[in-house]
Amino acid sequence: MDISYIVVFGLYVVFLAWTSWKSSKQVESLSDFTTGGHRMGLLLGIGTSVATWVSVASVMGVPGFLYRTGIAAIIGWVAGWFLATAIMPILAYKVRRPEMPARTFPEFIRMRYEPFQKVSYLQLIVAVLMFVGYFIFSHLQVVGFGIVFSTITGIPYEWAIFGFLVFLIMTCTGGFWTVAATDTFNSILILIGLAFGLGAVLAATGGIGNILDAVAVTTAPVNVGGPPMKAGIMLTPEGSFGWGALMAIFMANALGASVAPHWIARFMAPKNTKAAVLQMMWTVIALIPIFICLIIIGLGAKALMPSLPAGKTTDYIMPLIVQQYAPPFVGAMTLIAIMAAAVSTSNSMLLHCGTSIYYDIYRSLFPNREINEAKATNHLRISVFLLGIVAVLSAIKPPMLLAMGFTYVYGAFGAAFMWPVWFGLFWKRMNRAGAYAGISVGTVGFIAARVMNATNPFVVGAALSLVAVLIAVFTTSAPPKEAYEAYFEGEASESTKEVARRIQQESDEKAKEKVALAPGK
Amino acid sequence: MAIALAFWGGSIIFVIVVALILCNKIEASGVKRWGATGSLFSYEKKGA
Repeated sequence: MDISYIVVFGLYVVFLAWTSWKSSKQVESLSDFTTGGHRMGLLLGIGTSVATWVSVASVMGVPGFLYRTGIAAIIGWVAGWFLATAIMPILAYKVRRPEMPARTFPEFIRMRYEPFQKVSYLQLIVAVLMFVGYFIFSHLQVVGFGIVFSTITGIPYEWAIFGFLVFLIMTCTGGFWTVAATDTFNSILILIGLAFGLGAVLAATGGIGNILDAVAVTTAPVNVGGPPMKAGIMLTPEGSFGWGALMAIFMANALGASVAPHWIARFMAPKNTKAAVLQMMWTVIALIPIFICLIIIGLGAKALMPSLPAGKTTDYIMPLIVQQYAPPFVGAMTLIAIMAAAVSTSNSMLLHCGTSIYYDIYRSLFPNREINEAKATNHLRISVFLLGIVAVLSAIKPPMLLAMGFTYVYGAFGAAFMWPVWFGLFWKRMNRAGAYAGISVGTVGFIAARVMNATNPFVVGAALSLVAVLIAVFTTSAPPKEAYEAYFEGEASESTKEVARRIQQESDEKAKEKVALAPGK
Repeated sequence: MAIALAFWGGSIIFVIVVALILCNKIEASGVKRWGATGSLFSYEKKGA
């Protein structure tokens, strides 16, 4: 291993440890741990949103799919994810409206649909679905981390993935604040690293013109010894997917990702509604240079290395190209950027995973159990770390390509949550029965369509979910005003505020203090 | 290539337009808790 790699890697670890240590002092309450206490500023909000978007699915998966299928990957993944982020300000505008917003996505569902239930089964169902989805996300990040870490260090992949736990300890100690601070640091690093990688690829290929000339005529198979590609297919918009499959990927990434629970949780963190809206707008703008780098690197890789060695998936293309064609320091910066993307997304995903188990499942099932704030935060830390260990063990034999894994989970989230989230925020009549019907039918519909190899399982699941929601809503009574008022009115009634206080009081000592101090209490 | 970039560019223009409309709505509402400050792109008053 070159000395540049050791120096850059060492500096990265030191900076990450320092950022984590500083931000971990911010943790005071469960609200701080889960959503940053609803007081996040714009800069940190943009940093954490950018880093969450830029995961291994984007920095390794997108160049991998560009390498495999050509510019179709821009429509399927890049445009899909950008459209998702473009829709997000509309959701953020509503989610961050209440005076006492929810702290987790399942709690948001509970406050909107089951505000008077002592134990909310809807919250439990959503938490279980979230747990499964985020575990898969975390697993994929660990796979990406392992590929890069083994490339940098030369340690076999099966052992390299355990290095992830060191980063997890550093980034999950302070919950949301640590995740946000390290994410912001990682975002800057990702941009610099990818710019270095772009420079190396442009220098090696001789420029964009040469790259396009090469991919326009290439017939080289993806792997050495594989079937040859059709000449010119890499520059056709549908690539080797066909329009049906490509639109399925685009829609799952766009509509599914926009209602993914971790994004709804991100909208709860900013200081106010406008900060939440601006956060997503600036995130899109900040992502543009990052994705330009990824697109050029992905296509440039095909020009530089027409076929991958047998047995390597296209997820390996980025580290292989960087190691082979970039000077050591540039290569080190780029690979550290990829690792930063894996760490910054996985810590966030594991935080959601741990929170759904501890906060939304355990504490919902045992609402009368005595709660100690410090103990609860520690339990959450331990849950996150244990989940990290399981994610590492599950990554020893990775079963699917990184970007495609994300598309499956986003598709499932979209089919299950799209109508309960959109109708819940924009339609007062949307009620509890509609949410149960939408989530259960959407989930089952997506899984059934996937098992039956439907071209667009997301559309099948979402369409069935819509029918189920409409039937359920129009055959049952309207919801109480305490369920929807906070999302529609500037000033909610006292009874609505009381419901929000009671729900949060059950699981947060700080909230208890707020109730005691509140005027008229 | 142009079709792929149009999909992407369209999303970028869409988010800017949507964010401007929403910030305008927040300003029109005058609700300080939502971030109405009198300035379209500012979400809190200086020194607040």
